[in-house]
Amino acid sequence: MSLVTLDFAEELKEYCGDNAFECFNCGTCAAICPLVHDNFPRRMIRYIQVGARQKILENSDELWRCLHCGLCTQTCPREADPGEIILGLKRFVVANWRKS
Amino acid sequence: MSEMSSDKTTKTDRVGVYICYCGGNISDHVDVEAVRNRVEKMPGVAVARTEMFMCSDPGQEMIIEDLKSGKIDRVVVASCAPSLHETTFRDAIKRAGSNPFIYEHANIREQVSWVHHGDTATNKATVLIASATAKAKRLKPLDPIRVEAKKHTTIIGGGVAGIKTALDIAQTGIEVTLIEKSGILGGQLNHLDRLAPSGEKASDILQEFLDQIVNYKNITIHTNCIIENVTGYVGNFRLDVVTKSDNKKFNIDTGAIVMATGSVSYTPYDGEYGFGRHEQVIVLKDLIHILKENKSSGSVLEVNGKPIKNMVMIHCVGSRQIPGIHKPKENGKLNEYCSRTCCAAMLNASNQIRENFPGTGIYEMYRDIRTYGRGQEALYTQASKNKVVFMRYEADALPEITPSPLPDYPLQVKIKDSLTFNEEMDVPVDLVVLATGIEPDDVSGLASMMKLPIGTDQFLLEVHPKLRPVEFPITGVFLAGTCQAPMDAGEACNAAGAAAVKASALLRKGYIELDPFVAQVDIDKCQGHGACVEACLKEGALELIETTIEGKIHKKARVTAALCLGCGACAAVCPEKAIDINGWALKQYEDMVDAIVSDGFAV
Repeated sequence: MSLVTLDFAEELKEYCGDNAFECFNCGTCAAICPLVHDNFPRRMIRYIQVGARQKILENSDELWRCLHCGLCTQTCPREADPGEIILGLKRFVVANWRKS
Repeated sequence: MSEMSSDKTTKTDRVGVYICYCGGNISDHVDVEAVRNRVEKMPGVAVARTEMFMCSDPGQEMIIEDLKSGKIDRVVVASCAPSLHETTFRDAIKRAGSNPFIYEHANIREQVSWVHHGDTATNKATVLIASATAKAKRLKPLDPIRVEAKKHTTIIGGGVAGIKTALDIAQTGIEVTLIEKSGILGGQLNHLDRLAPSGEKASDILQEFLDQIVNYKNITIHTNCIIENVTGYVGNFRLDVVTKSDNKKFNIDTGAIVMATGSVSYTPYDGEYGFGRHEQVIVLKDLIHILKENKSSGSVLEVNGKPIKNMVMIHCVGSRQIPGIHKPKENGKLNEYCSRTCCAAMLNASNQIRENFPGTGIYEMYRDIRTYGRGQEALYTQASKNKVVFMRYEADALPEITPSPLPDYPLQVKIKDSLTFNEEMDVPVDLVVLATGIEPDDVSGLASMMKLPIGTDQFLLEVHPKLRPVEFPITGVFLAGTCQAPMDAGEACNAAGAAAVKASALLRKGYIELDPFVAQVDIDKCQGHGACVEACLKEGALELIETTIEGKIHKKARVTAALCLGCGACAAVCPEKAIDINGWALKQYEDMVDAIVSDGFAV
């Protein structure tokens, strides 16, 4: 269970654009991703949409499996640029790592 | 009546029997030519013919020619179910200049070739045709019942459907009376703000309708009125009306009635999603009212003076309820239907809020988004653009509303979000809005007065959803709008237009022709026992009247043809066999049974 952080999108603007809200959860990015399974990067993008800040920090090790091949960005039908979102999330996690 | 007095009515021996192949539908299983050969030899049959499609022009022409040349004077067609083509062949007989009621139908498709095969099929087809022929021999020409009809329509309910029906009927020159139980016209439109998906103001639409009504001198409006009773029949209904304010009673004589009694909004039970327990839980109707009255524009929406930083909208409250999951009402009923209008209304409200108060965040929690109509899907796209967050719950895990542990928020909504891989989320909120569905207004009193059917969903029930969508089985009574099913204002107006056309078409000639299959009394035989009156199912259709014959007063039964249902309950109880149903006489039945049990035909 996780408490939603309502102004998370605002907080994230420092680290990446707000493209995550373009995503309509089709799952193409997760299907094309050659390295990581278990709904990556789709789940991370959904976490941004609903404001599940804590979930992103808890599962941040997933972010570092990404090799930035760019396939998700190339295939995203909504031009949400998942690759760039993952980079942004890395910056956010680094800045907030073990802060609490 | 004199015709009825003779059981010895001569039977005709000039029956024409026409057997259809139905392009193989019948002939693949029934040996149609063998049936024809047997039928030809039956007593009373003058001609027996076959055709690939009897309903086609050549098939109908064959019947017309035989009638015109005088070879036959009764017609039996053996084909599909009478519901499909009985009228086709009656019309063909009319075109030949004969009486359309000299016709009998044998169903050898649904009742034979689709369910039997081989010899069994051929034999059963022969038997059914033999019995139809036996009946046909005793058929008499009948005339449709002509009922004078008052060129006046009464519309019950002054919402948008009632108003639109009134306008469209008035346009054809027919008098209209509109009865509304509340003090004002407009119904639910009075509670709405901007209508989805076009965004027009409900008040503007209503005003345009009301301005039009004033132009029609043939529309009479009664507000604050209750209907106490409805009597009569098509063309001649009488409504007993009483005013709520001073209890004044008056009557309305009318030719047709349109039910436009509308709907109400579902009221959540105490504690449903925290309703009634937390003041921050409101229904969509309240939110629309708040948006309508709100003149301020700030970055954050304010409700009761409190800023709303975040709110949750919960869909499907009181709609799409599932037995075993949702709590039934006191009468044990669940609203299992989709209320159809709430999805678009919720998205519409969300867009208004996000566009005018960007500081107010919105989470929409839905089971399915059903933006089914033209322009409605655009509302959903717009809401996504406006960064409304959508979360999806399943019916077996409904969102729960509890006090929030955070000091800044009064409540939180727990949801198992299937869009986030079924993870549980707690959303802190200042406001929860419930999309309460549509329920029909309770018109059970009116419905039982007029014997109108009510569906299992408690809405009024039409004859057929596609073929006769605005008609009741009671001739002369129609329905329009949300008394029938959940509809938006546009759909209610569509239905209203259809009901108006049906009512106008019915009344425009000033008289109505009804099927003559009703009870008829043989005055000579009737002894005035009154058993038939007691057995009669339809109030007013049968009565005992006193009549003077050769200076003596006798009691005799009298049929009001327009009310008679033709059920035959009277014929079954009369000890004198003095009452019978035209077109379905006892003697005709007896001959049919004789034909079925006699082996001779089916060999």
